[in-house]
Amino acid sequence: MIIENVIGAFGDVFQLHNLLLMVIGVSAGLIAGAIPGFTITMAVVLTLPFTFGLSAVEGLATMIGVFVGGLSGGLMSGMLTGIPGTPSSVATTFDGFPLARKGQPGLALGLGVWSSFFGGIISAVILVALAPRLARIGLEFGPWDYFALVLFALTITASLSGENLVKGLIAGLMGLLVAAIGEDEINGVARLNFGVDSLEQGFSFLPVLVGLFAFSQLLSDIEDRDRARQPMTDTHAEAVRVQHWAAIKTIVGRWVNLIRSSLIGVFTGMLPAAGGSISNILAYDQAKKASKTPGDFGSGTPDGIIAPEASNNATAGGALITMMALGIPGDVVTAVMLGALLIHNVQPSPSFIIENAQLAYAIFIAFFLAHFIMVAVQAVCLRAFLKIVRLPMYVLTAVILAYTAIGVFALNNVTFDIWSMFVFGIIGYTMRLLGFPLAPMILGVVLGHIAELNLSRAISLSDDPTLFVTRPWSLFFLVVAAFSLVFPWYQAAAGKRRWTLAFLPAFALALSVPLFMMGGVVRPIIGGVLILIGLLMLWRAHIKGWATTEAAP
Amino acid sequence: MGRINRDVIVALLLLAGCGAFFHASFQIEETNYGTIQSWVWPRIVLTALTGACLLLLGQALLRGAETVEKRRGGFLAWAGRYRNAAYVYGLFFLFLVTLPYLGMLLGGVLFVFVTLTVLGRPQASLVPLHLAIAIGSIGAMWAIFTFALRVILPQGVILPF
Repeated sequence: MIIENVIGAFGDVFQLHNLLLMVIGVSAGLIAGAIPGFTITMAVVLTLPFTFGLSAVEGLATMIGVFVGGLSGGLMSGMLTGIPGTPSSVATTFDGFPLARKGQPGLALGLGVWSSFFGGIISAVILVALAPRLARIGLEFGPWDYFALVLFALTITASLSGENLVKGLIAGLMGLLVAAIGEDEINGVARLNFGVDSLEQGFSFLPVLVGLFAFSQLLSDIEDRDRARQPMTDTHAEAVRVQHWAAIKTIVGRWVNLIRSSLIGVFTGMLPAAGGSISNILAYDQAKKASKTPGDFGSGTPDGIIAPEASNNATAGGALITMMALGIPGDVVTAVMLGALLIHNVQPSPSFIIENAQLAYAIFIAFFLAHFIMVAVQAVCLRAFLKIVRLPMYVLTAVILAYTAIGVFALNNVTFDIWSMFVFGIIGYTMRLLGFPLAPMILGVVLGHIAELNLSRAISLSDDPTLFVTRPWSLFFLVVAAFSLVFPWYQAAAGKRRWTLAFLPAFALALSVPLFMMGGVVRPIIGGVLILIGLLMLWRAHIKGWATTEAAP
Repeated sequence: MGRINRDVIVALLLLAGCGAFFHASFQIEETNYGTIQSWVWPRIVLTALTGACLLLLGQALLRGAETVEKRRGGFLAWAGRYRNAAYVYGLFFLFLVTLPYLGMLLGGVLFVFVTLTVLGRPQASLVPLHLAIAIGSIGAMWAIFTFALRVILPQGVILPF
């Protein structure tokens, strides 16, 4: 059965039409990633309308191509101009730009391209190995557990994606509210439409997403009148020739850094909200700490390029694991992919890999393949890309805005969707100005229906509300959600206040409770290890007299 | 007045919005079927949202007015910062209003051309270039969606397509 599905998936992915779409997707992603201010998320969002007319495999393969291309594209402008194309490649510029300025731009680009490739392939292997296993765990979930999982996804997104937790929470709740507008999926009753007929069906996912994210981002990019009129990057690529073999040899010689950074990327990607923008900095930091010559970092050392580039591409595999195994988006990009699945009438859930095995394997294969295409396209078309990204931002803004109108209309063939996009564009832009993060709101819009549906199922199965805390998985997610709410305060006060010394031990001890409740052998052992770690941390803090770097006020 | 800052105003506006939605939630039809009524979930979300808005209000009031960003260069400089965004929103609004008359092809070309001309450098030599970009980009997208993806885009009254 598995072999049949794998063969079927290979057949779908390796069709000429699909391969062509993937090459276009990767190229578009590379260009988008190379443009400072043009995020990968926006590129994936803008790809969505093109996928309506495609099959699920073609649509998702194209989007995966854009995702992988975007993650790798950021390194081009980062290395050649010092301005990272995307937040995922910020750390790449720390050593990539100095190495390029030392007269080795070809080696710098080669290290970036091949680190991205190897990081992506490592994460793809982990994706294939881990996603089906995690999905099996997901099958243990009841509606109580699923509801708690959604809660956890929203709280951790709110706490990680902005400076102000309360604003993140408000954004997430606003997303849930937007999803609640229109006909109730369970009882079929119109609600919160304020008498507007067009609102009876509620807002479609795409106009809300494009408005909130793409529309508002484009307008933020052209705020500065003079900068909007200048070329986005001012680089000349005529003399750059990528040194492939030298780069591969250098990376293979530093395989420990490569694997460590890739694992950091995968783990970060699996966490809701934590994407490539966090993983590249984390991996760079760890590479520096583990290096025998940390003083070389910042001056063009290869390790400083390998770490961020391997980790940011590996993040994609991690995010796909969460999406495919649990039906929960790991970040905004996978939220868009989740939306694409829904458009093709595929319901993401823990049973997704079993019920849609051929599509799931096609996603795995497409993810592998996208990395090979990325290397090939980047090697051949580097000069062309760098010419395209020399266009002024205002030209791109005008053209893309018109395109969003066409793309959004194509979803349901109604003009109301373009109006929705326009209104959510204003809301998104205002939220950006006022310091509200947009990622929690987008996740709220995507997860609102799932949360309500599972709450309704939970109540219909039993009117006992204590099940939310007596079922192990539900308790597990509620514990993580509760600690993720306190995390921003912990992060700000870590080492300065006494209570922060007890935060991680308390987290480990609290997490062990649901693990013991789950029964079996492995999970209680993990719970026992967590208790030991928690107690050890408390004992060490006690030995040091609960000393902090600053006296507690 | 000493404690008023931007977040206080934002929180108050959000609370007013919550009030409006709460009011609307009482208009939701009651059913004699289903396990939970249709108003339950919106009210749970609204209660949490109201709580979060009150937290924001408390946080903003405690922080006080000292953190209010000082406006540099007065109102004109402030307005100038958002000029491009305002122009684009205005033009997009016009594009939407005229869409039933101009259609997607003509309306789209006009929108892109005018937006490019407003945002770009005020040089006569750029006008033909902007027109070419507008016709080329919208024409290509219109053709892809109409012929390749078989989407019937809005038709105006001026052009038959």
